Amino acid sequence: MSAPATHGTVVHTSAPAAHHYTTLGIDNRKVAIWAFIGSECMLFVSLISTYLIYKGRSVVGPFPHESWTDPSTGHVLKPILNIPVTSASTFVLLMSSLFMVLALAAVQNKEKPKRTRGERILGNSRLWLWMTAIAGSTFLGFQAFEFTSFVHEGLTIRTNLFGSSFFTLTGFHGAHVTAGVLWLVTLLAIDYRRGLGSRDSLLVDIAALYWHFVDVIWIVIFTLVYLIK
Amino acid sequence: MATTAISTPAYGGEYSGEQSGLWSWLSTVDHKRIGILYLYTALFFFMFGGVEAIIMRAQLGAPNQHLVSAEFYNQLFTMHGTTMIFLAIMPLSAAFFNFLIPLQIGARDVAFPRLNAFSYWVYLFGGIFITVPILFAVAPNGGWFGYAPLTTKPYSPGINIDFWVIGLQILGVSSLAAAFNFLTTIINLRAPGMTLMRMPMFTWMAFVVQILLVLAFPVITIALVFLLFDRFFGTNFYNTVSAGADPLLWQHLFWIFGHPEVYILVLPAFGLVSEVLPTYSKKPLFGYPVMVYSGILIAALGFGVWAHHMFAVGMGPIADTFFGLTTMLIAIPTGVKIFNWIATMAQGAIRYTTSMLFGIGLVGLFTIGGISGIMHASPPADLQQTDTYFIVAHFHYVLFGGSIMGIFAGIYHYFPKITGRLLDERLGKIHFWLTFIAMNLTFFPMHFSGMLGMPRRIYTYDSGQGWDLFNAMSSAGAMIFPIAMLIFIYNFFKSRKSGEIAGSNPWGAGTLEWSIPSPPPDYNFARIPTVTSRYPLWEGKEVDHESARINSQEGKTAAELGIVMPYNTIKPLFVALGLIIMFCGLMTSPFLIALGAGLMVFSLYSWLLSPLEPEHH
Amino acid sequence: MKGTDRLWRLASYAFFAAFAIAAVSCNEAHPNTTLVPHSDFGREIDFLWDRLLLLGTIVFVLVEGALIFVVIKYRRRENQPTPPQTHGSTKLEITWTLIPAVILVFIAVPTVRTIFITQAQAAPGSLNIDVTGHQWWWEFRYPEYGVTTANEIYLPAGRTVNFRLRSADVIHSFWTPQLGGKRDVITNRTNYIWYTPDSSTASSVWNGFCVEFCGSSHANMRFRVFTVTPEQFASWLAGQKMPAHFGAVGPTPPAAASFASTSGGVAPGYIFPREKIPDYAVPHAPIPSGLNFTTGLTGSAARGKQVFSSSACIGCHSIAGNPAAMGITGPNLTHVGSRSTLAAGRYPNAAAYMALWIKNARAMKPDVIMPTLGLDEYDPVLKAKVTAATGGLTDQQIADIVAYLTALK
Repeated sequence: MSAPATHGTVVHTSAPAAHHYTTLGIDNRKVAIWAFIGSECMLFVSLISTYLIYKGRSVVGPFPHESWTDPSTGHVLKPILNIPVTSASTFVLLMSSLFMVLALAAVQNKEKPKRTRGERILGNSRLWLWMTAIAGSTFLGFQAFEFTSFVHEGLTIRTNLFGSSFFTLTGFHGAHVTAGVLWLVTLLAIDYRRGLGSRDSLLVDIAALYWHFVDVIWIVIFTLVYLIK
Repeated sequence: MATTAISTPAYGGEYSGEQSGLWSWLSTVDHKRIGILYLYTALFFFMFGGVEAIIMRAQLGAPNQHLVSAEFYNQLFTMHGTTMIFLAIMPLSAAFFNFLIPLQIGARDVAFPRLNAFSYWVYLFGGIFITVPILFAVAPNGGWFGYAPLTTKPYSPGINIDFWVIGLQILGVSSLAAAFNFLTTIINLRAPGMTLMRMPMFTWMAFVVQILLVLAFPVITIALVFLLFDRFFGTNFYNTVSAGADPLLWQHLFWIFGHPEVYILVLPAFGLVSEVLPTYSKKPLFGYPVMVYSGILIAALGFGVWAHHMFAVGMGPIADTFFGLTTMLIAIPTGVKIFNWIATMAQGAIRYTTSMLFGIGLVGLFTIGGISGIMHASPPADLQQTDTYFIVAHFHYVLFGGSIMGIFAGIYHYFPKITGRLLDERLGKIHFWLTFIAMNLTFFPMHFSGMLGMPRRIYTYDSGQGWDLFNAMSSAGAMIFPIAMLIFIYNFFKSRKSGEIAGSNPWGAGTLEWSIPSPPPDYNFARIPTVTSRYPLWEGKEVDHESARINSQEGKTAAELGIVMPYNTIKPLFVALGLIIMFCGLMTSPFLIALGAGLMVFSLYSWLLSPLEPEHH
Repeated sequence: MKGTDRLWRLASYAFFAAFAIAAVSCNEAHPNTTLVPHSDFGREIDFLWDRLLLLGTIVFVLVEGALIFVVIKYRRRENQPTPPQTHGSTKLEITWTLIPAVILVFIAVPTVRTIFITQAQAAPGSLNIDVTGHQWWWEFRYPEYGVTTANEIYLPAGRTVNFRLRSADVIHSFWTPQLGGKRDVITNRTNYIWYTPDSSTASSVWNGFCVEFCGSSHANMRFRVFTVTPEQFASWLAGQKMPAHFGAVGPTPPAAASFASTSGGVAPGYIFPREKIPDYAVPHAPIPSGLNFTTGLTGSAARGKQVFSSSACIGCHSIAGNPAAMGITGPNLTHVGSRSTLAAGRYPNAAAYMALWIKNARAMKPDVIMPTLGLDEYDPVLKAKVTAATGGLTDQQIADIVAYLTALK
C-alpha cells in the first residue's frame, strides 16, 4: 500500500514528505481540517442556540424585528436589522465561495496548457484568490458598517440580551472571516513568491474547505437571525 | 516473570545521542518525550491537588473547626476540582495518548509533532497560570462548575474568577489542539493491516475520547467566552441583575460539556485496564467488538444526559423523565464493560502484579460508583442526594476508583516501556494496598454522611448533626494517601535509576508497542510493521513476527536506517508563550495583549513556513 | 495459598470494621437523615431509594462476588499451560446486556411515576410560603397572612405547604432533609416545591440547609422548620402578624413574657418553647477568638429603640411598628426576639451572641453583608477600624439595642 501521489513536497511549507505512509492515503492536514470543522460546528451551535434562547427576552430595546418605545423618554426605536443591506453582503460572501472554487481549480490545473483567453482567466490563481479575499473583505466592510450604525442607533454589546448575543455571534463569525482573509493573503504571498502549482493544491484545498464552512455558517446565521422574525 | 524479550537493552531510560539536556526537552517534538513531560507535570499537579484535598479533610475532620477560613476553603475545593480534572487526570491520560497511540498503531510519531509540543507547553503554562493564585490566596473560588451568576462581576468582583475563566480557556486550547492531532493520528497513521477493529482497546478508547473533546470543548469555550465578556466588557449573558438573563444558560452549556468530560476522564482508564487485564490473564480481551461499541455508545449517550446534573433546578417532569431515562441507559454499556472485563479474567492465568491489582481495583471500585450513579439517575431520588456528600462519594468512586486506579495500572504496566526498567513490585503492592484502603476509608463513609443530610461545599458544620463519625473516618483515610504517594514517588525515582532492566516485552503482552525496544528508539519502528491480528505478538501470522523481529533490534540510529526524523524546534513553545502573555494582558494591560499576540503570530508563521523535517531524497 | 489467605484475612477485617462502624453509628443520632421520611414527598422518594438500594446491593454483591471469585479461582498456577484463548461469547454478552436492562425497567417505571406525582401542582388550599434566598440567609413570607420572618418557618403538621422559591441574588437551594427533596432557588425564576409534613410531626424541629454553593458563607445559610399543631400555628401567626411588641405604634400587645407561657393556647404569640428544642437544632459554633464585650452592662430597651432608629441599622432592617426601620436588604426584625437562632442558624439567639453580632458581624460570620458596627472594631471589608464618625456604636449602645431587639418577641 502506498499513498497516492496526489500531493508533492512543498518547499518552504510544512507539508510532510511525499513518502510518508497514511492509512487513508490522504494528507493528515485534510483529516485534521475536517475534525476542526466538526469542532467549529459545535462552537457556532452554542453561539446560535444562545442567540435563539435569548431571542425576545431582552428587557429594553432596541429589538431586531420589532420597534420599542422607551417608557422613560417616549422615544421610539425602530427595528434595528437592515435586511436589504445584509442581503447584499450575504450575496458578496456567497460569491466569494464561487471565487474560492475557481481559485482551487486554477491551482490544480496550473500546469495544464491554456489556449483561450477564457482559459487563461480561469487559470489565473492570483486573480481568484484576490477576488475571494476582496469579497471577504467587502463582507467585513459591510459588517463594520452594520456594527457602527447599530451603535449609533443605540445598540451596543452591553445594551441588552439581544445586543450581547447578536454582537458576539456575528462578531465571532466576522473573526472567522478575518482569519480566512489572512489565510488567503498568506496563500497569495506564497503565490507571488514562488507560484502556486498543482503540487500545492492541498494548501489551497484546506483553505477552501475552511472558507466554504465559514460561508455556510453565515447562511445559517442569516436565515436564523435576519430572515426569521 | 514470563518474558518474550528478544534482547535486553544496555541502557535504562536515557535517550541516546544529541537527545539530552534541557534544550532537547524544550525543543522536542518526539511524542514519547512529550508524553514523559505530560506524565511528570500531571503527577506534580496530581499531588498539588491532593494537598488541597488533605487541607480540606483536615478542616472537616471535626465540627466547627477553623483551620482555614471560609474564603480559602472555597478556593481549595474549587482548585481541587479544577486541578484534578484539567491538570491531573486529563493530562495523565494525555501522557498515555502521547506515549502509546503511535506505538500501538505502528506509527513513527503523531500526525503533527510540532502541534503536539505546542499542546504540552500551553498545558504547562495554563496550569501554572491557574495554580499560582492559590499560593497568594486569590485563587478561583466559584467551584469547578462556576455557576453564574455567582461568578459574574457583581457577586465575584475580585480577580479570582478571572484566573479561572482565562485559565480554562488556555487549557481548552491545549486539549483541542491535542485532540485534532490524536484524531488525525488514529485515523490516518495506522500501520498497514491495522484496521479499526484490530486497534488495541486503549487506542480505541483514546479515539472515542478525542471525538468527545472535539465536540465538547467548543461548548465550554463559548460558555467561558460569555463569562469573560460579561466580566471584562460588560455584556449581559449572565447579567441577572439588570438584563433579565437566565442563569440556566450557563448550567446547560456547562453540563453539555461537563458530562462528556466525565467520559473524557474515565474512558482512557478503561482503555488502559483493557490492555492490563488481558496481559496478566494471558487471554485476549473478552468481547472486543462489544467493548468497542459500548465505548462508542457511552460517548454518544454522554451528549444526551447533561441535565441529570440539574434535576433540582425544576426543569419540569418531561425533561426530568427524559434525562433520567437516558442516564439509566448508559448503565447498560457500562455494565457490559464490567462483565466483559470479569469474563476476560475468567479461565485465565492471572498474575497478581501491581498493575493487575490496580486493574482489578478499577473493576471493583468503579462498579460501586456505577451503582451509586444509577441511584441518582432517578430524578426524585436525586432530590435527596444531589449536592450532598453522597455525590462526592459517587464521583470519587468513578474518578478515583475508575480513572486514577486505571492510570496507576497503566503506569505500572508501561513504566518499563517508558524507561526500560521495571518498577519495584514489592513497593508497588504496598502502594496499591495503601491506596485501596485510603480510597475506601475516605470515600465510602461519604455515602453515609450524604444520606444523613450533609451538604457539599461547606467549609464547616455544626456538631450534633450526626456527621461527626463519618467525617472523622473520611479525614483519617485522606491522611493515608500522602503516605501511599510518597512510596510511589520513591519507587518511581529509585526504579528509574536502578530498577530491574525490563527488555522489550517484560509482561509477555500481545500488542505492537511491546515489539520494540524499551525505551523505544526515537523512530519507534525500524520498519513500519504489517499487522494481521489484534494481538500481533500472541496470535499474529508470520508477517507480524517478521516485523517484530526487525523492530526489536536496537542500537541503530534513525540516520543509519535512513529514517527521516522531524527537526527539533522551540517555535511551538514560543507560540504557547505568546498565547499566555496575550491572556495575561487581558488581566493587566493592552500592551501585553499586543506583545503576546505579536509573539504568537510571528512564531506561528515562522513555524508554519519552516519545514517539519529534512527533505527526503 | 498465600494470596488467598491474605485476601480472606483482609475480607474478615473489612467485615469486622464495617460491623464496628455500624454499631458505633447507631449510637449517634442522625437528625438530618434522608432515610426516615416525615412527609408524603419524603416517603415517595424513600420508596424509590429502598428499591434502588435493594437492587443496587444485589448487583453489588453479585458483581463483586463474581470478580473476587474469578480473581482467586483463576490465579496462575505452577506450570500452567496457556489458558484457552476465548475471544467472546455472543450468548453471554447478550445475557448481560439484557439483565441490566430488565433491572432498569424496575427502576424506571416507579421513577417516572414519582416524577409526575411530586411535580404536580400543589393541592388547592395549601399553605403558601414565599421563600427568598439571600447571601446568606432565608426570608420567609406567608403571603396570605402578611407575615415576614427569617431563617425559621412554622408549619402546621398535616397540612400541605407550597413553597414558592425565588432568589434575591445568586442561586441557592432549599432543603429540609427529613421533610422532602431539594429545589434550587434560582435568580429570575420562580420554583416550587410542596409537601405535607406528617400529622405525627407536631412539635418537632427540623434542620434546613442551603445546598447550592452560593459564596463565602454558603455553609452558614441554615434554617429551622418547626412543625406544630394547627392551633399553635394559628397562635404563632396571630402573634407574628402584630406589629413589634415593644413600643409599637398601634394596638399594644400583651407583655412579651406571657406569650411564651401560653403554648398550645389560642392566644396569639405561640413560640416553640426554647427548652424543647432538641440539641441538634441548637447551634454550637464557638464565638470566634478576639471578640470581647464589656461585662455587666444593662441595656435599656427604650434607649435601644432610639439608638436603633437613628443608626445604620434602619438602612437594612424593617420592624413593623417602628416607622424609622424600613430597610429591606436584611432580615425583617419585627419579631426577632421570638426566633431561636442568629445569623441563619450559626449562633443561638441569646443576648451575648446578639451583642457580639451587632458589634462585629463580619468576624462572627465570614463575609456577611452586615457591616461592623462596634466602635474601634476592625472591619475586614473596609480594612479599617470603625470610628465614631463612621457610626461606631459603644458597648453600652449595643447592649441597649440588644435589650430592644430581644424584647421583640
